[in-house]
Amino acid sequence: MIRICALASILLLTTPAIAQQAPGGGPPAGGPAAAPAPAPTPTIPAAGDPVKGREKTQLCEGCHGIVGWRTAYPEVYHVPKIGGQHEAYLISALKQYRSGDRSHPSMRAIAGSLTDEDMANLAAYYSRAHVQVSRK
Amino acid sequence: MIIVARAILLSTAFALLPVTATAADVAAGQAKAKEVCQACHGLDGNSATPDYPKIGGQHPDYLAKALRDYKSGARKNPIMAGFAAALQPKDIENVAAYYGSQPPVLAPKF
Repeated sequence: MIRICALASILLLTTPAIAQQAPGGGPPAGGPAAAPAPAPTPTIPAAGDPVKGREKTQLCEGCHGIVGWRTAYPEVYHVPKIGGQHEAYLISALKQYRSGDRSHPSMRAIAGSLTDEDMANLAAYYSRAHVQVSRK
Repeated sequence: MIIVARAILLSTAFALLPVTATAADVAAGQAKAKEVCQACHGLDGNSATPDYPKIGGQHPDYLAKALRDYKSGARKNPIMAGFAAALQPKDIENVAAYYGSQPPVLAPKF
């Protein structure tokens, strides 16, 4: 009885494998890798152009490009570092300044002058900026 | 003259007092970060999720301001509003100091 059970379980375990190989009958060399990849690219949300983004950075460098720079208004604190930040976060931050959900006066004025495309390009540039630094 | 000198010394001492009094506790900040922040931002602040900003090595005063703004509602984000509400002012200073002390994943200049 035990033997029968054991046999049955072995059959059960091996059957799917046999079934998988049977229909194709093709070369096993490819194996599971031959299946199409699911293409998970959620980290690059927008098709921003970093080169075009760089052309717009004159708006940003005055504050974000100076080490140790602080905002003078409305509170005194360091301007955040943005090189290497997530692209999606940078875009959402700029959009929140433009909509008024974030309240820094200079950032609201600057973001108000940017189109969606500008924002995507700037985010593409700044999110990759740290890579360029490390190569220098 | 001596009185004036003493007054100046005393006022200087008082002027310096707040700086030492508000010194943040990085270890306490790490403990709080494990409780509150780690799940989204990572323990080193290098969040893997694109929507959540990287905060490791960010300026502590900027991080503290962001948390205060989330807590007050000046900066609107439903997720962060909940977490910031649970933080006391001292927690905010500590957590900001902790993440600011982590190896920088953000470059200030390029």
